[in-house]
Amino acid sequence: MAKLQLSGLGKRFGEVAAVSGVDLSLAAGEFVSLLGPSGCGKTTTLRMIAGFILPSEGSIAMDGAALSTAAGAVPPEKRRMSMIFQSYAIWPNMTVAENVAFGLKLRKLSRGEIAAKVERILGIVQLDRLKDRYPAELSGGQQQRVALARAMVIEPEVLLLDEPLSNLDANLREEMRFEIRRLHDAFRITTVYVTHDQAEAMVTSDRIVVMNQGRIEQVADPFALYNRPRTRFVAGFIGRTNFLEGTLAGGEIGFAGFALRADRFPEFAKLGRRVLFSVRPQSIGLRRALGNGGGWWVEGRVVKRAYLGEYWDYLVAPGAGGPPLRVAAPPGDIFEIEDKVWLEIDPQRVAHINEAS
Amino acid sequence: MKRRTFLKGTAAASAAAALAPWARRASAAEEAELYAAAKGEGQVTWYTAHFDTQTAESIGNAFATRYPGIRANVVRTTAQVAFQRLSQDLKTGIAECDVFSSTDLGHYVRLKPMDVFLKYTAPNAAQLLPQFKDIDPDGGYFITSAGLICITYNKDKVKESEAPKNWPDLLDPKWKDQISVGHPGFSGYVGTWVVEMRNLYGWDYFEKLRANEPQVGRSINDTVTMLNSGERSVAAGPEATTLESAARGNPLGVIYPGDGALLMVSPSAVMKNSRRLNAARLFMNFLMSRDASEILVRNFSPAVVPGVGPAPGAKPLAEVKTIRPTAEEITEGIPEVIKRWRDTFGA
Amino acid sequence: MTDLLPLRAPARADAALLPLLRRFEPAMLLWLALIALLLFLVVTPLFILVRQSFEAPEGAGYTLANYVTAFADRLHLRALGNSLLLGAGVALLAAIFAVPMAWAVARTDMPGKNLTRLLVLGAFVTPPYLGAIGWILLAGPNAGWLNKLWMAVTGAKAGIVNIFTFPGLILAIAAYSYPYIFVFTSAALELVSSEMEDAAHILGAGGWRTTLKVTLPLVWPAILGGLIITFLEAIALFGTPAIIGLPAHINVVTTQLWQFFEFPVQAEVAAAYAMPLLAVTALLFWVQRKSLGRKGYVSLTGKGGERRLIQLGAWRWALLGYTLIVGGISVLLPFAVLLQAAFSRAWGRGMSLANLTLRNFEYVLFVHNTAGQSIVHSFVYAAATASLAILLALAIAYIVSRRLVPMARALAFLCVAPFVIPGIVLAIGFYSAYAAPPVALYGTAALIILAFTTRFLPIAYTSCEAAMRSLNPEMEDAARIVGGGRFIALSRIVMPLLRKSIIAAWILVFIPATRELSAAIFLTAPNTQVMSVVLFDLSSEGNFEYLAALGGVLLVATVILVAVSFRLVGRDFMLRRS
Repeated sequence: MAKLQLSGLGKRFGEVAAVSGVDLSLAAGEFVSLLGPSGCGKTTTLRMIAGFILPSEGSIAMDGAALSTAAGAVPPEKRRMSMIFQSYAIWPNMTVAENVAFGLKLRKLSRGEIAAKVERILGIVQLDRLKDRYPAELSGGQQQRVALARAMVIEPEVLLLDEPLSNLDANLREEMRFEIRRLHDAFRITTVYVTHDQAEAMVTSDRIVVMNQGRIEQVADPFALYNRPRTRFVAGFIGRTNFLEGTLAGGEIGFAGFALRADRFPEFAKLGRRVLFSVRPQSIGLRRALGNGGGWWVEGRVVKRAYLGEYWDYLVAPGAGGPPLRVAAPPGDIFEIEDKVWLEIDPQRVAHINEAS
Repeated sequence: MKRRTFLKGTAAASAAAALAPWARRASAAEEAELYAAAKGEGQVTWYTAHFDTQTAESIGNAFATRYPGIRANVVRTTAQVAFQRLSQDLKTGIAECDVFSSTDLGHYVRLKPMDVFLKYTAPNAAQLLPQFKDIDPDGGYFITSAGLICITYNKDKVKESEAPKNWPDLLDPKWKDQISVGHPGFSGYVGTWVVEMRNLYGWDYFEKLRANEPQVGRSINDTVTMLNSGERSVAAGPEATTLESAARGNPLGVIYPGDGALLMVSPSAVMKNSRRLNAARLFMNFLMSRDASEILVRNFSPAVVPGVGPAPGAKPLAEVKTIRPTAEEITEGIPEVIKRWRDTFGA
Repeated sequence: MTDLLPLRAPARADAALLPLLRRFEPAMLLWLALIALLLFLVVTPLFILVRQSFEAPEGAGYTLANYVTAFADRLHLRALGNSLLLGAGVALLAAIFAVPMAWAVARTDMPGKNLTRLLVLGAFVTPPYLGAIGWILLAGPNAGWLNKLWMAVTGAKAGIVNIFTFPGLILAIAAYSYPYIFVFTSAALELVSSEMEDAAHILGAGGWRTTLKVTLPLVWPAILGGLIITFLEAIALFGTPAIIGLPAHINVVTTQLWQFFEFPVQAEVAAAYAMPLLAVTALLFWVQRKSLGRKGYVSLTGKGGERRLIQLGAWRWALLGYTLIVGGISVLLPFAVLLQAAFSRAWGRGMSLANLTLRNFEYVLFVHNTAGQSIVHSFVYAAATASLAILLALAIAYIVSRRLVPMARALAFLCVAPFVIPGIVLAIGFYSAYAAPPVALYGTAALIILAFTTRFLPIAYTSCEAAMRSLNPEMEDAARIVGGGRFIALSRIVMPLLRKSIIAAWILVFIPATRELSAAIFLTAPNTQVMSVVLFDLSSEGNFEYLAALGGVLLVATVILVAVSFRLVGRDFMLRRS
């Protein structure tokens, strides 16, 4: 049985459908991200899971028991979930320890037990020295960890996070990403994580749910999502990519500026007349001369380049015209602008996007 | 009242009566002289606690009408505030007040030795009614208004035949929770009444009164409010304000107690340091004139000169048995009774 | 003229002088002037008061006898005790009235919010002594309307409520003091982000628990501020304790002080007697600081500040009912009886067609010499007072919050201290200090305005201090770094940001200033009469019909004025967030 089951979930505000047709199953202990640009409905979905918003249609169930339907919902305080808010929502008039102990006090544990649990969780998030401080006396990262501790100490069935890292600076964000994943691995709480930052989602999640305009575009683990995007949106949203739009005719796929042999493509039987490929910049090799590998070769010339330390970012225009392709090359491969080059594209690493589906 | 004062009063009265025609001609001349001089001063400021604002204003207006060119600035406050202001004025050397009219006789006893009053006997002083004459043998201050404290009652709740007829009747247990009085600490009228009751009946009177749980207000006029609302049905109240309220249609009645209605006499004095001495003297004179007394009577107070009144619904003063403590008794007595009152009544 | 901005001066400036000159800004002069004004308004009367407490009467040297007279008397001590008890009772009851209403208005979907705000405004503009008189008519043990109704309906021999009791006195005062707590609490509640409550919900706290354990504690500073102001106002009140307390045999400090000024005057003893009240202020100030301590109360990040209304379901009606009860107690019931009196020929005659008249209004507006004029005076003086007080308070709050001078906290104390000097004592202090030459303010409006300003400085200061605390200093720093001096930063940045709070604070001072009695009664002159004194005189004269009519005029005029200023400014003084 799924830990958390969303079936046909939808929410309308007036005429606008903020969320529609969301079907999702979370296994116990899974870490799932809801990823998408602002306005895609991820936060609304999260708040429906939490019980703050009543769905317009569909249902939410946990361990088989219904939590929300359009007719009614179990209130948030009875769902045995936990949430971390974008603003942390730590209460400034209580100490760190008091903040963390709040949920435990509601569960009527003994004072000794509460103290012990608080001590333990603060140790895990490395805030034990600060337990008598007030939030105003803490840094952003420390406040973040108080929110985490407070949410996790009550051992919730499901942990919900609403863009918790957006208020932190880049370094801290990276550190906290790992921290969150580490805590998840330690406690194995089923987690739903909302973010617009794909790097965050990729680092932390078992599976990622990409949402756009209220609908789910694709649900997959990071690897599959990146390498096998199902829709144009997913392909463009996750990482950078080159979109190649072409037409299949006579065993060849014709693109603007070059053509590729269709039989080299592993699943070429599935190709329809219109073809959309997503090719990651790092899947294209930049060569000085035509080689004899089994992949596709396109002739071109370097139009732009930028050095980013870890790799070169080249823009290569196909010789016969058409939109340029982005290529990522190792730092040692130095090409000059206007250099004649050959692009070696590995068909195995090309994602075919079937727009009909 | 003491024999000596009474005799003196009678002698003075007969002397005045004998000299009346000559006195009248002389006073008219003096008045004209004063007026001419006062016109140059243009105004007179009067600190008064004697009346309500309406009456005080009427007197001020009447003065200005009778003596065109002189404005009367009426500063109407309670006696205590008037006294406090005057004290402050004296202390800081401000000469704002020209004529001082307080209801508290004790104020005058205290201020007189400080030599702040002008010794001036206005022409009209000669025509004051006997019980108001010669309050100060040295002529520093004169009675310019009076009032009576009687037993008042709510006609809708108490029949006249059942109403208390003298002061000890108020102690009857049948009036428990029915009585309204003021507070001696806040009202000179009430203070004087308490002093006189103590003189007549001892403090025991108030111990017994306490047992009847009277409603203790502040000013003696609070009794009017209490009776009107029906909250209480009998009171030791002011004749003037009660009659005025009754004239408006309220169900109030006045009983003149058999053992004496308390006569409150309120003096006025001209301030020695006044910057407008002529206007002040003119005003002082006016206060004791027929015109002024007519205004008093119209506003339900007794007149201080003969031939005017009585107020509508009131008994003529000559027919009323009155009782009154002496100036010394008032001065010494009021602070004392305030203390005893608070001990007895708790506040 | 020497250049006051040596930063532009050549580098050869004297090494020792430069740092000192750097710190000197033209704005400093203004700060010093304001501090001097504060000293003038607050310290001088206070000083005179303290000195007077040690003076022997008639200027015969110094003595401790006044303190002995003041405190060795059992009755005097009991009055002091009564005052403290009264203050505490009033503060508590006012909080019980105000906090649920503020919460309902700021955070829930209770219907009738505008009605609620109107009722609060009604309670705020009503002079307490007017309400007290109304309550005597309602709950006098024998003839009060409520008791008569009870006796008629149940056939009982006696009524059930008696306003002439300690609880009755507390009710009569709290009914008109609770607006302070309401305004402070609702303003603070509107700033609490709903995520704070969501966080509690998700952790397992239901609706009521969250409100009690999370939402209300977050606004504790506002509630505490309101409690303190209510307490201090209650113990300094004269009118209602005189009207209701005395008949109930309850003497309090203010009525006792009044008696010290009765003949024979014991002004020095009165001064000594007033000293404990100052100690009480200091104590409360200290308590407030202690209890707030290191805790923060404003939300930490700028984001997530959305405020969603709590859905109450059937409880909405219960809350609305509560609001109506409170509004009924303070406004609706007393107004009804006062209305009846205002239109009556003789209010003792009850309601009947024959008894109806407009004569009372005609009299107070046109016939009575000073009543009409006094209405205008009341509003003009109150407006001047509010403006002066806010200006001063804002400046001092700025100095204190930015710590521009050493001992800034002492300034804050001075701003709050006047609140607990009873009005009449403050008035006498002012009179002694400034009526005579060389200042010679006797009989002028200036004397009244200055005294009122001192009297209401504490309210102005508390509001401005709260506003300052919510302001981020970085906003000014941003202006100063691009070249604006402190003045520019203040006028172009700080003031506009605080505009809403300033206007709210202004009204919070203006309204009580229109009905101030105990200070006015001693300072007014024939040409500077104010309405509260006229009303008080009318009540001393037992002239109840006129009193009700004039009181009615005062209320209507105030409400109109406030409504007009809302329109003009486009703001709500109750600090609603748009």
